Amino acid sequence: MKFSNHLIILSTIMLGYWLDDSLNTVSIKLFLELNFGFLIFAYWVFALPEKIQSSAALIYGLAIDLFFSNVIGFNMLFFTATSYIIHLYVFRFRIFSYFQLSVFFSGSSTFYIACKYLLLSPNNYSYIVLFVSFLITLVLWVGIYFVMRAFRRSVFSNL
Amino acid sequence: MARSTPSYTPVRNYALGFFLSAFLLFSDISYGAFAPLRGFVHASNLYVQMVSISMFKNISNSLSSFQQNRNLVQENEELREEIHKIRTRDFIQRKDAEESLQIVNFQETLFDSLKTNDINLFKITSIDLRNYLCCSTHRIYLQNSNQVQVAENTPVFGGSSYIGQTKNTYLNFIEVILFSDTKHLLPIKSNFFYCDARGKGKPMLIACKLNKNIDDFQNKIGESIFTSGLGGIFLKDIEVGVISAINSISINEIEVVITLKTNPLEENFFGMISRDADEI
Repeated sequence: MKFSNHLIILSTIMLGYWLDDSLNTVSIKLFLELNFGFLIFAYWVFALPEKIQSSAALIYGLAIDLFFSNVIGFNMLFFTATSYIIHLYVFRFRIFSYFQLSVFFSGSSTFYIACKYLLLSPNNYSYIVLFVSFLITLVLWVGIYFVMRAFRRSVFSNL
Repeated sequence: MARSTPSYTPVRNYALGFFLSAFLLFSDISYGAFAPLRGFVHASNLYVQMVSISMFKNISNSLSSFQQNRNLVQENEELREEIHKIRTRDFIQRKDAEESLQIVNFQETLFDSLKTNDINLFKITSIDLRNYLCCSTHRIYLQNSNQVQVAENTPVFGGSSYIGQTKNTYLNFIEVILFSDTKHLLPIKSNFFYCDARGKGKPMLIACKLNKNIDDFQNKIGESIFTSGLGGIFLKDIEVGVISAINSISINEIEVVITLKTNPLEENFFGMISRDADEI
């Protein structure tokens, strides 16, 4: 894949994290932590598994850590691990229903949020935040899936 | 039929990436190994924001000036601009006067509290609001336009009390760690106890644990808390907050929660005693 394509993918992930940063200051009062950035990354690995491998996940994670995180390595770790799991089961995911996919990606996102709180802010760890985020992400994933698929088809028509 | 689906997944590369990330994460969390890098990126971001805003304004001004091509319209525009300028100048002068008054009042407060005139004032550039409202890391960035030499761990004054201490400087920005950051420890005292209060990771809250019975603390909510000066960083006897809650942890252990006096979200200017004045 061309370098410019990687830049486009990274930009969409960064847009997701920027949205998270902007919206979470409001949504956290409703016990909801949005995680668009991580879901967009997961979508790209799911959609283009042969193009986004371990090194891409590592570099995307590093870029996100530099611009949006309080520690270096957190997103690198999760992006690599998520990428590995998606690669491992990518063909099984293809025969999953939208609901099953939603449950998997929403669960991954909730696990990411839980680890983020446990590692970086244990005082604010809250089961209600995780539960509400899981339920809302379950719905949001379907939207993200269709929007990102339309975007991928319009931009990466050759991939 | 295959027992499992084929995949593109060479586990070695992922394992390498996983361990490398885990190592970086551990070294950053435990030793803050990449704090300067993050600070530099943050400061660069602020610069890019400032430059892009200025460029956007210039481009917008240039585009609007192209449209003034007829004398009459131009004259009309000029008159409008003049009125607008007068209004803007008036607005700026009023704001400037308000800001000067704010600075003078703040300087008076600082002089009353710290008994020195050698004080540097800094304007706030950014506060990490997302983390401040939800998480453990509570930092603000101050603009050091005059490039004053600021040492690490210099106490920072805001409103009518201390709010934190300097942590680092990146380019022309000073990073300040607030008392409510969970990594910050503040030696405090009241009329009946001394302790080291740690930030709670929640806005304006710090807390300390004491080996006392909760009965000893009846009717103590609302009592003032002062700096004890025992850490060697902050001057003693500066009021920092009041006791807002007392929680029992076990039979002979309690947690005293203190609400800080100054809300950093409501302050524009922050002060520090200059290096020379701080030396004995």
